[in-house]
Amino acid sequence: MADDLKSEPVFIADENLVTFGDGAVEGRPAGVPSSYAEGKSPRWTREVIADIHAKSQLGRYQLRGFSTFQKNLPSFDELVFQPATMTRLPLEGYRERCETRTVLGDGFGLVENPVELDIPIYIASMSFGALSANAKAALGRGAKKAGTMTCTGEGGMLEEERAENRTLLYQLSPARYMIDLDHIRRADAVEIVVGQGAKPGTGGLLLGMKVSERVARMRNLPQGVDQRSTSRHPDFLGADDMTIKIEELREATDHKVPIFVKMGATRPYYDTAVAAKTGADVIVVDGLEGGTGASPELLLDNTGVPTLASIPAARRALDDTGMSGKVKLVAAGGIRSGVDVAKALALGADCVMIGSAAMISLGCNSPRYVEDYTAIGTEPGACHHCHTGRCPVGVATQDELLSSRVDVEAASERVYRFLTAMTMEATLLAKACGKSSVHNLEPEDLRALTLEASAFTGISLVGADRPFTW
Amino acid sequence: MSALAAGVEASAPVRISAGDRPIREVNREIRAAVDAGRDIEVHDPLSRHNLGVALTGPGLVTFKGSVGYYCGGLSDGGRIVVEGNSGWGTGEGLASGHITVNGNAGMSVGAAMRGGTIHIRGHAGPRCGVAQKDGLIAVEGDIGYSTGFMSHGGRIVCLGNSRGSVGDSLWRGTVWVAGEIETLGIDAVVVTPDQSEVDEVEAQLGALGIDGSGRDWKQIVAGKKLWYFEARDAKKWLMI
Repeated sequence: MADDLKSEPVFIADENLVTFGDGAVEGRPAGVPSSYAEGKSPRWTREVIADIHAKSQLGRYQLRGFSTFQKNLPSFDELVFQPATMTRLPLEGYRERCETRTVLGDGFGLVENPVELDIPIYIASMSFGALSANAKAALGRGAKKAGTMTCTGEGGMLEEERAENRTLLYQLSPARYMIDLDHIRRADAVEIVVGQGAKPGTGGLLLGMKVSERVARMRNLPQGVDQRSTSRHPDFLGADDMTIKIEELREATDHKVPIFVKMGATRPYYDTAVAAKTGADVIVVDGLEGGTGASPELLLDNTGVPTLASIPAARRALDDTGMSGKVKLVAAGGIRSGVDVAKALALGADCVMIGSAAMISLGCNSPRYVEDYTAIGTEPGACHHCHTGRCPVGVATQDELLSSRVDVEAASERVYRFLTAMTMEATLLAKACGKSSVHNLEPEDLRALTLEASAFTGISLVGADRPFTW
Repeated sequence: MSALAAGVEASAPVRISAGDRPIREVNREIRAAVDAGRDIEVHDPLSRHNLGVALTGPGLVTFKGSVGYYCGGLSDGGRIVVEGNSGWGTGEGLASGHITVNGNAGMSVGAAMRGGTIHIRGHAGPRCGVAQKDGLIAVEGDIGYSTGFMSHGGRIVCLGNSRGSVGDSLWRGTVWVAGEIETLGIDAVVVTPDQSEVDEVEAQLGALGIDGSGRDWKQIVAGKKLWYFEARDAKKWLMI
């Protein structure tokens, strides 16, 4: 059979023409350099090869801080606002007022002192341990100036941050470091952590170089030893037990403050529906883009649901269970600007939490002490070395010299200005859409630029004016 | 508050009934008495959850029956006697104070406790002393599986037998077992304690009215293989 395919060539082209003439190397085509010479394999990229080499040397997975490098994430940039035109009336963007006040914990009418924020943004839980005491103090002071709150994180309550914050959220993480009755009672809200967006299903990780004497004392850990926190709570397992736990916290706080439940976005619809049954006042859904001080790299890039997809799902769960309005929804994970804030609110969030962005406004990745960036193998603007504890600008470190580089007053001013700028951005968009409150932003104000974003957010596709469904 | 205001003689214990009253109301009365250094008897606890949560002060509260979850949880002071059994998380997060359960206790006794003493006269359920930071848990009966899981400090003493996976992933806490150990948890090792440590434990037990002498003490401590997360320890770490 094969013989049938044999045919005699009728013409053989000149070899110089076949090889594009001048510049041809023997055995290789001329002109554009070959793909194999340039490392253009889409599978065995330079990063993959470097990763394999690193793991071959380390004998373990790689760790790092910051947040995901996953390239295939849907982005808030896939949504655009549709301001008022003929059918809606805009507000004067530079003159008229737009309400930004945000209340959390008032839904059931049972909490004596709901959390009242001047803006719909607060600063995420970043522990003392992950961040330096100066950075925590600066975040607290900046948040106070902006009329919002910060959260303790899992390392216990730092006196500096209690002193600086107007409103402080106290975290009860599975590891229960330094859970103190006095601290609980001095908190303005208490949060049960079920998980975090950066690495849902996994406990916290703080490498030994950041477990300083003070951190170790607060967490009751040996100094300098890597801390790998539990992923399960020690005294409850499921949602029904959590209901009792929440009642315990209400008893401990004499029903004065709201109880938050924070979870990483994995099955946001079902998880939110279940969490809403527990009696919590606020549910925080932290998307895949959420940052962290240290994590196995593979978890950052390969676990969770992106923030953009998790917000509509969580809102739908609250609607379907009749809990919208009673239980407040906080969205988090990779929120970069007031534009993202406005989009999150329009998608259904009641409030937005920022971590990495607040840290960057503190001074993270700023072009100072460049030689110290170089020393840890990175550069300003591209540093994600929080896990090393050698933060050149003193934000994510426990080193005394490095920590002293955070000027609390100056850093707090930057945080305040950034929060103000974010709020202005959100209100500008809201007013263009004709909204007198940022909380009136709604899905109808948005259009999706891509089929995917339209399909999983339920936002109408731009031009089509209806959501893409399958 | 009503019972306190009723003009009961200062030295006599305040008597209240839990029954089906709101737990918040019951706890307020308990807290007021304990804060004031008064003793209080709670009748009809009916295994209700969250009784005696967040106590401070020197008073003694006696539950005349069984209690539910988190009895005495998050307390920083107070003394509690449960005359029946107790549910999950008895004395969880305890910073100081003393809890005695005359019957059996459920899962996670003294979870994440930072100080004080919890004394279980009967058996204790699984994950007893999980994430414990400090303080003493003494169990006269048996303890369930994963006792002392990821404990950071403190001491768990069991006069009976231990079920599986005891002392799993300990940091610094120790588990003492007088009876049989079913299996050890990851990175847990049994060491023979020094006589001085035995004396200390027996003194602690003596203070609780328990004769701990002449026991075959097995002390379970961290093997410390899980302590560091570095390249050279990768293989040890992977045994998880």
